[in-house]
Amino acid sequence: MGCKISAIEYCFPETKVTNQDLKKEFPDYDFLNFEKKVGIYARYIVKNNETGFNLARAASLKLFERGVDKNQIDYILYCTQSPEYLLPTTACILQDELGLRKGIGALDFNLGCSGYTYGLSMGKALIESKQAKNVLLVTTETYSKFIHPGDRTNRSIFGDAATATLIVESEEDNIGNFVFGTDGSGYDKLIVKNGASKHKYDKNCLVKEYGTDNKYTDNHLYMNGPEVFNFTSSVIPNFTKEILAKNFIDKESISQFIFHQANAFMLNFMRKRLKITEEKFYINLKDGGNTVSNTIPIALKQYSQNINKSEDIILVGFGVGLSWSGGLIKISNAL
Amino acid sequence: MTKEEFIAELAEEMEIETTVTAETNFQELDEWDSMGMMVLIGFVSEKFEVSLNAEDIAKLTTFESLIDKIGVDKFS
Repeated sequence: MGCKISAIEYCFPETKVTNQDLKKEFPDYDFLNFEKKVGIYARYIVKNNETGFNLARAASLKLFERGVDKNQIDYILYCTQSPEYLLPTTACILQDELGLRKGIGALDFNLGCSGYTYGLSMGKALIESKQAKNVLLVTTETYSKFIHPGDRTNRSIFGDAATATLIVESEEDNIGNFVFGTDGSGYDKLIVKNGASKHKYDKNCLVKEYGTDNKYTDNHLYMNGPEVFNFTSSVIPNFTKEILAKNFIDKESISQFIFHQANAFMLNFMRKRLKITEEKFYINLKDGGNTVSNTIPIALKQYSQNINKSEDIILVGFGVGLSWSGGLIKISNAL
Repeated sequence: MTKEEFIAELAEEMEIETTVTAETNFQELDEWDSMGMMVLIGFVSEKFEVSLNAEDIAKLTTFESLIDKIGVDKFS
């Protein structure tokens, strides 16, 4: 007895911000070059009164609309760094909001770009250890709420979104082996410093500059781009080889590599290092941008639309933490 | 790779529109933004297996200073 991904749905907020929109605020910046290199044309952001929870709810409802029986769900794994409250657990609120049964497990886990692959491995573990049969894995993120209005780089890169994935017990063994990596020494390379236990939100926070004329305060998201790029380009190619080895499969047998859609330049850089052809390496973040833990399920759903026989797919997530994880899955139909 | 070839190839990768020499200062270039830095880090890592961090990038002045950072002995 194994498990498989049976369905994925995703949703973006309504408000679309194109490169032309950003150009009005940052007229000196070459957004055409940005689009060419980073591969992003538009991102979606939540309104002030909207949260990641609203998006998560909408993505989950889409699953039910297409016939997933909500009474079958016996576990919620909720991945976010934008919870509704410091406490309680947002997954508990979602159980009630969606009208799921009370006799189920529900937990939040705080991971960013490595979150989806972690969620799949936990869902698999819950099912294979007979603790659950139908796991609802939700990812939702609203970094737009953390980004300083004057932080052009992060505003260009990140977008908000949510996804809902159903992982079910099955005759097939379609979720393979997963591998993990952690380096907490890089905790401050991508961080929102204030607002949790260690540093209170500070309304008089000093405005600082970084990179090329980007503004932020310690209340806001800060990303050290060069360090994140270095981490990714030095760790992830070998890590991908580790995933292949752990699954006793060679590169040539993989139909598609779906990495966290961080930025097209960085993805291509890793693709070349791994000597993978463009056809076998998914890059599509034009519409939506880097949506943190959502990029892999969104990409997987999009890619799966043309699948008509069983395909082996490698998924790799990496980022804030620093944290990375990845594994092999098999998909044989559109999700 | 000679220093001249390196400078020419890097300038092409970074899509620098003006003529650059070893004495050109990165700060003077319109193309020297976070994307330009990313391209530079990628290029140097690929060609020389040298990782430049944010501090190294901040310290760069001219193309010559980048060559020094990579190591003059790595050029022919």
